[in-house]
Amino acid sequence: MASLRYESQVREPLVTGAKTYHDVTEDIVRPIEAAPSRLWKIGFTISVLLLLFGVYSVYREVVYGIGEWNLNKTIGWGWDITNFVWWVGIGHAGTLISAILLLFRQGWRTGVNRAAEAMTIFAVMCAGQFPIFHMGRVWMAFFVLPYPNSRGPLWVNFNSPLLWDVFAISTYFTVSLLFWYAGLLPDLATVRDRAKEKWRKNMYGVLAFGWTGSTKHWQRHEALSLVLAGLSTPLVLSVHTIVSFDFATSVIPGWHTTIFPPYFVAGAIFSGFAMVQTLLIITRKVLNLNDYITMEHIEVMNKVIVLTGSIVGIAYITELFISWYGQNPYEMAAFKNRYDLSTPYAWSYWLMMSCNVIAPQFFWFRKLRRNILFTFFMSIIVNVGMWFERFVIIVTSIYRDYLPSSWSTYYTPSLWEVGFYLGTFGLFFTCFFLFAKYFPVIAIAEIKHILKKNGESYKANMGEEEKATVEHFTHENAHH
Amino acid sequence: MEQKKYWQSFGELTNSAAHQQNAQDEFKEDLPFEGLDDKGLGSATTPRRDFLKYVGFSTAAAAVAASCEMPVKKAIPFVNRPVDAIPGIANYYATTYVAGGTAIPVVAKVRDGRPIKIEGNELSSWSKGATTAQVQASVLDLYDTARLRYPLAEKKEVSTFDAFDKMVGEALAGLNGAPLVLLTSTVNSPSSKAVIAEFLAKYPGSRHVQYDATSYSGMLLANEASFGSRLLPSYAFEKAKIIVSLGADFLGTWLNPVEFQHGYTQGRKVDPKHPGMSKHYQFESMLSMTGANADERFTHRPSESGAVAAALLGAINGQGASGISDAALKKGIEQAAKDLAANKGQALVVSGSNDVNVQLIVNAINEAVGAFGTTVNLVNKLQNYAGIDAEFVKLVEEMNAGSVGALLIYDANPAYDYFDAEKFKAGLKKVRVTVSFNEKMDETTELCKYVLPANHYLESWGDAEHKVGYISMLQPTIAPLFKTRQWQDNLLKWSGNTTSYADYFKNFWTARLGGEPTYLKALQDGVVESPAMVMGFPSFNGAGVAAALTAAVAGKKTSGQELVIYQKATFTDGRQSNNPWLQETPDPITRATWDNYAIVSPSLGKSMFGIDITNATQADEYEAFPKKPLIKVKQGAKEMELPVLIIPGVQADTIAVAVGYGRTEAIGKAAAGVGKNAYALTSFNGTTFQRTAAVTVEKAAGEYKIATTQTHSSYEGRYEVIKEITLADYVKNPTKILDARKKELEPWGGLENYEKDGTIYPVFDKPGIKWGMSIDLNSCYGCGACVVACTAENNVSVVGKPEVLRAHDMHWLRIDRYFAGDPNDPNSIQTVFQPMMCQHCDNAPCENVCPVAATNHSSEGLNQMTYNRCIGTRYCANNCPYKVRRFNWADYTGADSFADNQVGGKGENEVITMMNDDLTRMVLNPDVTVRSRGVIEKCSFCVQRLQEGKLAAKKAGRPLEDRDVKTACQQACAADAIVFGNVNNKESLVSKHRAENENRLFYVQEQIHVLPNVSYLAKVRNTGEISAHTQYGEPHFMGEGHGAAEGGHH
Repeated sequence: MASLRYESQVREPLVTGAKTYHDVTEDIVRPIEAAPSRLWKIGFTISVLLLLFGVYSVYREVVYGIGEWNLNKTIGWGWDITNFVWWVGIGHAGTLISAILLLFRQGWRTGVNRAAEAMTIFAVMCAGQFPIFHMGRVWMAFFVLPYPNSRGPLWVNFNSPLLWDVFAISTYFTVSLLFWYAGLLPDLATVRDRAKEKWRKNMYGVLAFGWTGSTKHWQRHEALSLVLAGLSTPLVLSVHTIVSFDFATSVIPGWHTTIFPPYFVAGAIFSGFAMVQTLLIITRKVLNLNDYITMEHIEVMNKVIVLTGSIVGIAYITELFISWYGQNPYEMAAFKNRYDLSTPYAWSYWLMMSCNVIAPQFFWFRKLRRNILFTFFMSIIVNVGMWFERFVIIVTSIYRDYLPSSWSTYYTPSLWEVGFYLGTFGLFFTCFFLFAKYFPVIAIAEIKHILKKNGESYKANMGEEEKATVEHFTHENAHH
Repeated sequence: MEQKKYWQSFGELTNSAAHQQNAQDEFKEDLPFEGLDDKGLGSATTPRRDFLKYVGFSTAAAAVAASCEMPVKKAIPFVNRPVDAIPGIANYYATTYVAGGTAIPVVAKVRDGRPIKIEGNELSSWSKGATTAQVQASVLDLYDTARLRYPLAEKKEVSTFDAFDKMVGEALAGLNGAPLVLLTSTVNSPSSKAVIAEFLAKYPGSRHVQYDATSYSGMLLANEASFGSRLLPSYAFEKAKIIVSLGADFLGTWLNPVEFQHGYTQGRKVDPKHPGMSKHYQFESMLSMTGANADERFTHRPSESGAVAAALLGAINGQGASGISDAALKKGIEQAAKDLAANKGQALVVSGSNDVNVQLIVNAINEAVGAFGTTVNLVNKLQNYAGIDAEFVKLVEEMNAGSVGALLIYDANPAYDYFDAEKFKAGLKKVRVTVSFNEKMDETTELCKYVLPANHYLESWGDAEHKVGYISMLQPTIAPLFKTRQWQDNLLKWSGNTTSYADYFKNFWTARLGGEPTYLKALQDGVVESPAMVMGFPSFNGAGVAAALTAAVAGKKTSGQELVIYQKATFTDGRQSNNPWLQETPDPITRATWDNYAIVSPSLGKSMFGIDITNATQADEYEAFPKKPLIKVKQGAKEMELPVLIIPGVQADTIAVAVGYGRTEAIGKAAAGVGKNAYALTSFNGTTFQRTAAVTVEKAAGEYKIATTQTHSSYEGRYEVIKEITLADYVKNPTKILDARKKELEPWGGLENYEKDGTIYPVFDKPGIKWGMSIDLNSCYGCGACVVACTAENNVSVVGKPEVLRAHDMHWLRIDRYFAGDPNDPNSIQTVFQPMMCQHCDNAPCENVCPVAATNHSSEGLNQMTYNRCIGTRYCANNCPYKVRRFNWADYTGADSFADNQVGGKGENEVITMMNDDLTRMVLNPDVTVRSRGVIEKCSFCVQRLQEGKLAAKKAGRPLEDRDVKTACQQACAADAIVFGNVNNKESLVSKHRAENENRLFYVQEQIHVLPNVSYLAKVRNTGEISAHTQYGEPHFMGEGHGAAEGGHH
């Protein structure tokens, strides 16, 4: 039976290796059913150790005070909020891929969306640690929730961008989690149905929420996906916009910048895609999923990186231009403090510039876009650059602001500040390793969905269709 | 008739069976508590609800039972209320701060029996209620954990005073005629002098030697030569139009700074209607606090001070400034001489030198400019320094010769501050009986055989005559905390007088003042003043001047490095070096805390250490890291390694080191190991102690961290921060600053409508009280008294050097110091001090960013902090344009909910626990919350005082007046630089201050529309021009382009 699943042969297949539906299931579920590999065990152990170190670092900070960090009277935020914005940014790719690309019917998203969404959730979890534990009195953190209380008209401050963050991040996390989980249901059911051990049956049975694969289930599933995609789409834009308001609404030169919302969103997608690259290049190798995460996927994402990297670059240059064009001496000073090589933090600005603006330009070359090693290297570079972007914005703006008397001494993080950051890496990878071991890292159902038009074998069959006349084609398809 | 019946249902009407059943059962459904007889919980009819109920109840019960264990702290109420003690209401007692000969009349605030704050006594006509940083900090000395707690004999506790008296009595009786010497700092207490006389009479051959760590012998001896008696005149700076200071730090440490600041201020306040002010020349080697306030400042080598004085005298006498090779200096001297000569009778020259010859020349200059009888008062002389250096040197010789039988020491510490301490220590060993009456363990007391600790001044009776005719009284404000006894009691006892000093003192003054009521009145007032008329002062005898001129010029050197030993305005001679409040108060010039160091010139910094502060990269490197290089200073056989601070304005070959540091562990935990003892580098020239010396210096290996609270020293041409104008400019164009402000605000509604038009948000009315402050930059000299006052009033934490190094200092009020001028030309350096605290902005950027609304605006215009709402995001601090918000990085006060977490880590992360002892915590002000870890704090405009003032006015049934409220900083300031009050009241001082000085008024960072409630008055300099405000060559940032708001010429 022919259908209208036609796609040009010019586009490369998104699933290679002439897979059948059964092959797909086998390939993706196999790692879940097999014993963990040696590599997995090593990676997982390292992750847990990092996580434990992070827990100890946070313990010190909570018990002894923020003085365990090297922040000071001028620099109230340093690594903590830098890391927060960085992780939130990373958490942007997943939703973009699953929501916006779903709405735009981009077939290539199916190979990467599951892992990217998982990454989003874990990254947002990591991000959330920082605003919580950067509080001097974290045991009072619940004050940020607008709960009814007996203290008279005591309410949260709805004017504060930090409060907007609370809502933005928690909403984003909730929607992303639901979206991810809803997508997982059919696959979990597949794993359940294949399970032989009792615990496996039970666990996946519970997790699959009684999915039977009935048409009604599928119909509702599709509808839910669309609704969640619709909800998530504005979130992709709003979350980092709101995070940027933390800075943009302030009075501090270098923070008080109207360009921040689009600039932050572009930067977030930029860093998010870089992180997806980092993870998937490893995952496809370790789990032997080269047929599902193909060179095509990698190239497409590299194109997104060069696009968003260039947007970010334009934003940087616009910022500089506006600081000159606006002739506000304080803003000019803030930017001079970044680019002037004689100032203490100029190195971080130029590191950011090279990593985020100059380096991605190599992706104009197809050869480099399709080079795994180079892509992997670049994905790391971009994330280093994006970390420094946040560091530059936060630290180099406040360390020398209005009154020269308050200009700060040189800020370097303490061991526990770094430990907290490493700890979130531990959290992220611990979660990711568990995810890769116990969940299908690629959306089986969705891959099967595109197999017919984007699979290598189906593409080959298209040759026949192409040869047929238009009249024949219409005739063939009209009555079915 | 049957009663009318209302019914609600047919059931009720017919009284059906169903209705009866319903009426009986209050609850229609069965309650879910059914017997669980033999069935399990799971099979009950409503198991889920029950389960939730059980869970809820048991969790709550467990939580109540297990978690609410609170430490028991007992508060035991008085059975009988002590007279005058009303809980929560402070009592004030007039007394006197005494430190050596310095005696400043004060009022002690006593809450629940504890003195917690010292204020100046406004009844004193010379101090006028002003205090210094030391006075403000002295209350903490009372609760110093290092205080001696009981008498010691050979380092062992003596159980009773009687036993001690017996021991010492026997020892003194066994002297067999060997002379007894009573060694004290300057004593100017009339009753104590009588006690001493009585005591000395009992021991024939004994004598009293006065020894001051800061010697004014040179002046005493010079005045003896000029006027026939050893006297220290008092100075009327208010009467001088031309003030020339030859290295005298008269606003900070020299002689009687409280009085001088007050007088000086009168000449420096610019009357808006008739602008004019005194002109202040400073000739010095290092940059002193006073020099930093001078209109014209010229530097010279330390050894040149005699030559400068001589040249000045020559120039005044029309012989020109001879013997001065430096052209700028010569020109400066001639200019000063010209001004002095033109203002005879309204001119004053003072010198900080301790050289008799220099002081003789200064006397001759003052004679030549008609200062005696006008600006110099020889009748109401100062009596706070009486020590003659040579007498003490002679005593040390005698001690070493073994000819001193007994040495009784009160408030003198030569083992620390004598130039040849080793010799003194050696001599002390040869004295048979050594007794120390010192309050605290110090270097000398450690070596004494018998130690009977003295009372703190707040525990003492007494009197002082700091200035002739101006008596001030001491009365105890608390019973002695420890087993201590006043030193006068000891002398009385040992001279066989059985009266206690309290009675002796009472009898003494009752007799003098003519009756008990007058005595009690004197105690209540704290001061008794009967100054003599200024007339008939001794005539000037110029016989020694010619010889002095020759001698003074002789010591001049032309090459090599020279050393100046100086005192910090915050720290003076180091007698309060174990006071953490003072240790943490930044030095006015260097902004450094917890250390002494060698101050060097930029040129030496460049040549020796390769640090060129005119080079942006090197300057950044030098500023941004607390590590400083080390220098080795050699003076004769003595050498000392010190860290280096490069300060512009210091003469090229001068190195300056402050005294008061380098104490041992025994002195206390705040003083231990801080800095080096610079007294060791002083010397004796045969007549007086010298505080300058020729030295050789070399670079030493290694680095040392200095904790400064301000790293950058230039205001980078940011005229929104500081505005300055020359007097000439101001006279010519009085509205220059106002015009610039108007022009800048023009696009946003101009001055009048800026508040409304500068924002897109609605503007609120501000009825009732609106608190405001106005600070005159012309009157702030940077001394730091307000900073300590603020610390004491508001329980501001002391954090210690490791924390200051990490910029975790907690001061609510700081004094920003900016330099301007060419670092390579010390004469061009101009300094400005700017007190900076929370500006209580009406449109505060901190308020709208707090997620939990922990900082908000009061209806009286205060930006207030709600500590128990604060969760510590620090967003407010980031968004504060003035960077005045302070975060509790650690548990600095022991107020934390986590016990024993004050020492967070090892080494540099260790939080110093200076203020957590139960004894020390007695100083805390119960009206102010002690902040815990993790919250932000900042200046509150002393809101507790405002509440108290409002209540006082309310009780009296009248509107609030200026006298009801004073902030702690305002009250401490000797120069009245700070004016505070209700700006909605047009009659209040602050309203008038702002209205009258509109031409000089500005708000810091006015252009960002945060609408601060603290206004500043531009600094007026009586000089030719305002130096360029770019400390390090080219400005880091543009300065010229936005000169619209610029105050002065540059």
